Amino acid sequence: LSEKAVAEGHLRTLRAALDAAITGQEEAKTGLLLAWLAREHAYLEGPPGCGKTALAEAWSRATGAPSAFHSFSRETRVGELLGDVELRRTARAAGQRIAMELAPGPLLGAEVTVLDDLARAPGEALSALLELLSERRVRGRELPLGSAVATGVPPETAAVDALTPGMLDRFAIQVRMHGLLDARDWSTARRLLDEERPPVVQPAAGSLLEWQTLQRATQRLPIPGEVRERLLEVLARLRMLVTRETGPTSQGLAGRSGVVSAAEGGALLSDRSFGPLALRVMRAHAGLRGAVSVEICDLEALRYMLARRVPEALRADAEALVDGATELPELWDEAAATGSGTAPGRGGGPPQDPAASGNEPPEQLEIVSASGLPNVERPGADVLPLLRALEGRLARGRADLEEDPAGAPRRQRPMRGLEDFFDADPVEGWLYASAQLPEPPRVLRRERPGSGGAVAVLRDVSASMEGRLSSWAGDVVLGVVGLARRARMGLGYLEFNHRAECYTDAGRFFHRGYAALTRLATRARCEGRTSYEAPLGAALQAFLHVPDRSRHIILLTDGVPVVGDPEVSAARRLARQLRVKVHTVFIGLGDCPEVLDRLSLETGGLRFRARPSLRGPLRVRERGEI
Amino acid sequence: MHTELKRLRSLLDQRIVGHDDVKDALLLGLVCREHIYLEGPPGCAKTLMAELAARGSELAFFFYHFHRDTRLSELLGDVVLERRALPDGSGERIGQQIEPGGILTAEVCVLDDLSRAPGEALNILLRILNERRFGSEPIPLLTAIATGNPLRDDYYNEPLDPANLDRFAIQLRVSGLLQSGDAQAARDLVDRFAELPELAEQVSEPVMDRAAFGELHRALLEVELPGPVKDGLLEILRVLIEERGVNEENGLLTDRTFLVKALKLVRGRALLRGRMSAALEDLQVLEWMMTFRVPEQLRPEIPELIRRVAGV
Repeated sequence: LSEKAVAEGHLRTLRAALDAAITGQEEAKTGLLLAWLAREHAYLEGPPGCGKTALAEAWSRATGAPSAFHSFSRETRVGELLGDVELRRTARAAGQRIAMELAPGPLLGAEVTVLDDLARAPGEALSALLELLSERRVRGRELPLGSAVATGVPPETAAVDALTPGMLDRFAIQVRMHGLLDARDWSTARRLLDEERPPVVQPAAGSLLEWQTLQRATQRLPIPGEVRERLLEVLARLRMLVTRETGPTSQGLAGRSGVVSAAEGGALLSDRSFGPLALRVMRAHAGLRGAVSVEICDLEALRYMLARRVPEALRADAEALVDGATELPELWDEAAATGSGTAPGRGGGPPQDPAASGNEPPEQLEIVSASGLPNVERPGADVLPLLRALEGRLARGRADLEEDPAGAPRRQRPMRGLEDFFDADPVEGWLYASAQLPEPPRVLRRERPGSGGAVAVLRDVSASMEGRLSSWAGDVVLGVVGLARRARMGLGYLEFNHRAECYTDAGRFFHRGYAALTRLATRARCEGRTSYEAPLGAALQAFLHVPDRSRHIILLTDGVPVVGDPEVSAARRLARQLRVKVHTVFIGLGDCPEVLDRLSLETGGLRFRARPSLRGPLRVRERGEI
Repeated sequence: MHTELKRLRSLLDQRIVGHDDVKDALLLGLVCREHIYLEGPPGCAKTLMAELAARGSELAFFFYHFHRDTRLSELLGDVVLERRALPDGSGERIGQQIEPGGILTAEVCVLDDLSRAPGEALNILLRILNERRFGSEPIPLLTAIATGNPLRDDYYNEPLDPANLDRFAIQLRVSGLLQSGDAQAARDLVDRFAELPELAEQVSEPVMDRAAFGELHRALLEVELPGPVKDGLLEILRVLIEERGVNEENGLLTDRTFLVKALKLVRGRALLRGRMSAALEDLQVLEWMMTFRVPEQLRPEIPELIRRVAGV
């Protein structure tokens, strides 16, 4: 009993230390406690300034365990984490032996580790770190590492490549944080203002040995059969939820049709995370309650695992599903009877009429593609030929390897300055530094596939596009989003009638917020009259600010320009100057305006026309030379 | 099955739920001394299986996780610089060499996340795997087990080219139990870890005597290969090449793999089932050899084709 009291005391102190550091953010705090009790890793994702780092640091201090802190940047190298290269010299009969060895780095001795801004690190540099996290072992040596807490900004706000669900799978706990203001949590915001005070250094809660005992005891809590049963049901339903929305997750690769990429942000229900890890986290949850056995209510712990394992569009559903699982059996069974744990008020998902879906054969559900996307395979939405042709064009810019500090070493180049020294061949570097080689050492040239330039989609939303044409145009936009995503192109999206409306991300027209654009594309409203001048002008202006790589505009329209310069001479000139390829897609029965031909031919773009038929598919043809 | 192998198999069964084909393939690879490539999504236990099979066998073991900064010295051993004074005292000679370590001294190695290896490291590695020699020196390597992620739109792994994959005689796709919707496997998985929480923390000890491997390998050569089995093998290859249009462009049905290595694997399967004579059903190992060697669209047909020819 006294042991239990001690444990409760420690947990309370730890919680208090987190409370003292940050107001609100209860979910993240619970997540950290769960991670620590389960000896698992946690990933806190949230916008800048919501308290991620402060919380992680408070946690690492309060555990009282030996800790390490590393802040990531685009230039982070494996050596910084695992240790520097040492040259060891030993005398030998015939001369001297100089061997390269790795010195133990700061992360290797830590029990708790804070990995700040992990999402900023170049993805490729992380694999060594992730290996360390999951194996808790480096080069055959066991590490004391218990829990690591990483923080990161959401993929949309980061200027760098997003961490993939596969990489994040090592973090059992994943919590999405929101700023208090962003979440409109006015009462907590008020509390934050009231609690304004100098930071207090909290004492460590418990000794490392006590914690380890508690962690071990927690991980031996029994899990009765009914809890396992319920867990399996939750997993089955989670799987149904993500499969229905994103297609099969395991081998779904580029999507069935080749158009929609693997799912926005992807879903990952791996055996590791929802087998052993989920059980560990549930045991920790029971330990947090001071219980002697895991119960149904501990399934709530799954909530803290969802953030990046389920695409954002489905998160509300998934959370509702988990919440439902902790309910009384009657309520849960009732939810089961209606077929899904769908929560009301989810954003952007395809309409799922429960009655209708009940009548449909299950295969029908399978065809629905990535989150919130209309099904690209349905009749009337034959966008494939168009996308294939475009893909060929867009892909041209990306096959080349470009020099990039975050790339992989592929060849060698001469050293340019001292900052290169870390990438130098160590032996040559040493010889150079000890003045035995006149030439500077060779350094590794790091390269990665080109980021593919930028593509702007200009979508006509004038009144005549209302209805079927608009939904078709939406499919095209979604397809282009998928292409851009695969080619890692900056993507700009603009809707126009007589005016042009750009959708920017943090003030930038070209960005990689593919998920946000996916949502936008499905809900265009059509009104007004058509102008070409306004949209082309706006998009071309934006190209002035992006690197001179491959630049594309895709113009989707059904009408002749009735507002502005019908010949768009200024825009054509600028497009040629900037070497922007303008691909035009004319949708409609009438004659294609000549100006579209000129635009494409002058800039080297492709020309398409899509001809609607009364019933059956919309026919798309690439138009040849006239 | 050989008792020593049975112990290795039960070690795998004890730690891993499901994936029977992968476990069989791992044992087969070890016995036949062929390389194995496992491809699957993150978190489906491919690394764990590879490691258990390799560690459980008491052979000299090397584990390497590839990353984009993989240096050759990490794979092959320390780079050593030797300075010697020139005999006439006019200066010194500086030579660079590799002190064999890592893959050069291992008998079994696990090459984790092979698809992340930078090209430079990969080229040398694959040559070593193929020839089992470094420079002119033979190396003790018997089996390399590589794992990789399927190519998704993640930017960081690059597809291994088919010629590289050809070094791995056995090639398997691994899929997650939960993701593939196997309800019984999911239940077993949850039960296993609910009842034995310490399972995940266990460190495995070798369960197999190294002498047993030599014995098995010798036995392998003595397994009889009757004519009908050879006919069956050729018939499968004939159908693929003549009727299904597999050629040099779209597939990799090489003589080395299918006329030499295949025989070894067919014998190995018979041996694993405790027979000293191969039967038609042993042709099913071909399925594991064709995962990345026939065009994608033909893959679903392969098991059926083999079953038909083998009359299983």
